[in-house]
Amino acid sequence: MIATASALLSPQVLKEARQRERRVAWQQTRIAWLFIAPAVLMVTLFLLTPVVFNVILSFTKWQKFTGLDQFAGFNNYARLFRLPYFSEALANTAVWVVGAVVFPLAVGLGLALLLRNIPFQETFKSLFFLPRVLAPTAVAAIWYYVYAPRGVLNSAVSGITGTPFDFGWLYDPATITGSVIVTFVWQTVGITMVLLLLGLAAIPKDPIEAARVDGASNFQIFRHIVWPLLLPTVLVVTILNVAAGFTTFDLLWVMATSFPGKRTLSLAVYMYYESFSNGAWAYGSAVAVVLGAMVITVSALLAVVQARVSKNIR
Amino acid sequence: MAVDITDKAFISGLIAKEKRTQRQGGRWLVLPILALTIAYLTPLYYLFVTIFKTSEEYAKKGVLELPDSLAPLADNVVQAWTIANLGQAAMNSFSYALVGAVLSVSFAAAAAYGMTRLHLLGSNGWFMLIFTGTLFPFQMYLVPLLFGYQRLGLVNTWFGMLLVYVAICIPFPLLVLRNSFSSITREVDEAARIEGASEWRVFTSMIVPNAMGPLIALFLLQFTFIWNDLLFSSILANGIEVRSIMVALQSLQGTYSTLGPNVVITATLISSIPTVLLFIALRKYFMAGLQLGTK
Repeated sequence: MIATASALLSPQVLKEARQRERRVAWQQTRIAWLFIAPAVLMVTLFLLTPVVFNVILSFTKWQKFTGLDQFAGFNNYARLFRLPYFSEALANTAVWVVGAVVFPLAVGLGLALLLRNIPFQETFKSLFFLPRVLAPTAVAAIWYYVYAPRGVLNSAVSGITGTPFDFGWLYDPATITGSVIVTFVWQTVGITMVLLLLGLAAIPKDPIEAARVDGASNFQIFRHIVWPLLLPTVLVVTILNVAAGFTTFDLLWVMATSFPGKRTLSLAVYMYYESFSNGAWAYGSAVAVVLGAMVITVSALLAVVQARVSKNIR
Repeated sequence: MAVDITDKAFISGLIAKEKRTQRQGGRWLVLPILALTIAYLTPLYYLFVTIFKTSEEYAKKGVLELPDSLAPLADNVVQAWTIANLGQAAMNSFSYALVGAVLSVSFAAAAAYGMTRLHLLGSNGWFMLIFTGTLFPFQMYLVPLLFGYQRLGLVNTWFGMLLVYVAICIPFPLLVLRNSFSSITREVDEAARIEGASEWRVFTSMIVPNAMGPLIALFLLQFTFIWNDLLFSSILANGIEVRSIMVALQSLQGTYSTLGPNVVITATLISSIPTVLLFIALRKYFMAGLQLGTK
């Protein structure tokens, strides 16, 4: 038996078998190309080519009424720091990133912990999730009137204090960023809460019970058991909200409709304003490149931290 | 006192007592949570009283007061519908969202099949190429797309707008579907292949039906994304025949608008109806979709 088997596997036969295998593999690769072609073409043509082109454009003098033929070197980037707008927009973007990470997380975690052990918790969870289903543009339009001088917020304040109040929250540079961040938190806290509840549900009960038997306080249990095990989820939420903090556009653009200084509200708004309200396309591209570099760097750092934390837990 | 920890009744008594104290603590919390919820929902309450007010009524009354009657809603809807041409915009957005979500999820599914099921040279490289499409902020696409679209005559065209939506919506579904397809057992499609089924056949009748859950969740997420988009449509397609509902909604609002808040707020409600209905109908898949986003 063994002898016949090795006779069958003569070099000639083996070679043919390998050739056949290679032919099948090649055939499969060609079919596989057909399967991936639409996705690869669409993404390459409409996403990756524009990104490369955006970088090139940022080194030209291209504007609404001039051609693309003139090379500008680093002029657009130098201009970023010459005009006061960019640094103001950058500072507001930093406020946005911190606000978009800290508040949804703090409020969402508070809600998640509160809503776990009460009656009707499913109803409460759905209610807090509700704003997420609305479009950001619609949310912005509603909150535009919440913050209006004769709006919901001011009438609530005057109702409580008993004195008339008509502050324009979206007209004052001191309050507009904070006000829009509150709206952002209003819309995103529900999903943050849901994600954290999923993370909390995955934490094993045994170590918590054991710690409680040993007399640990609720705070100690949270600090030393729940928080470290929840950290990977917290970091995922952070990564999502950092990106949102850097790039939020709809809320700001719509809520700042009547605000004269809107171009400095964030880099995303500044980029849009310079490119499409002023027609300074090449300059807008340079702003977009800076924004992209920051988003990618911060997200990559967080992704590394997240991978490390998840690995330590397992 | 000696405690017999093997006594089941004793242990279950302890557990019940623990649960009781927990629930009592919980009951005490309901009131503050209720107050918080009411404050949280005030903007939505405002939405629901405002759509029933006339412009004069809105100007006269407190913003949170109840309306006189439900009748003004009809007039508000008619005004929003005609002045902003909301009907046309809603049809545009619906077609972008429906066609765009179906095409992008289909393209992503086909690519995921090619990457997980077929012998594909450089499979990881192809995946990374498409995955790169999730890294850049949308702001980096805008100026070059406008440039290219002006040269190609695609600005303010339905087809041009659709192409951008399809491309934007491919990378994330691919990421998810590559994982879900990998978890489907290979025995099924090997058997089908031995029977002589083509790859297309295996894909459409073996893999797709086994991944219906993620496919529906992804369709829902991408439909909502396209429906909600303001950024791309405000630049690439803001002409009245092709503009999206969010561009129309935005044009209603602001200093230069002569419309009362009652009409604008009614328009926000109209513009949210399709995605809210989809969410209610497919809630189960939507929640699954959220979890997809974190993996």
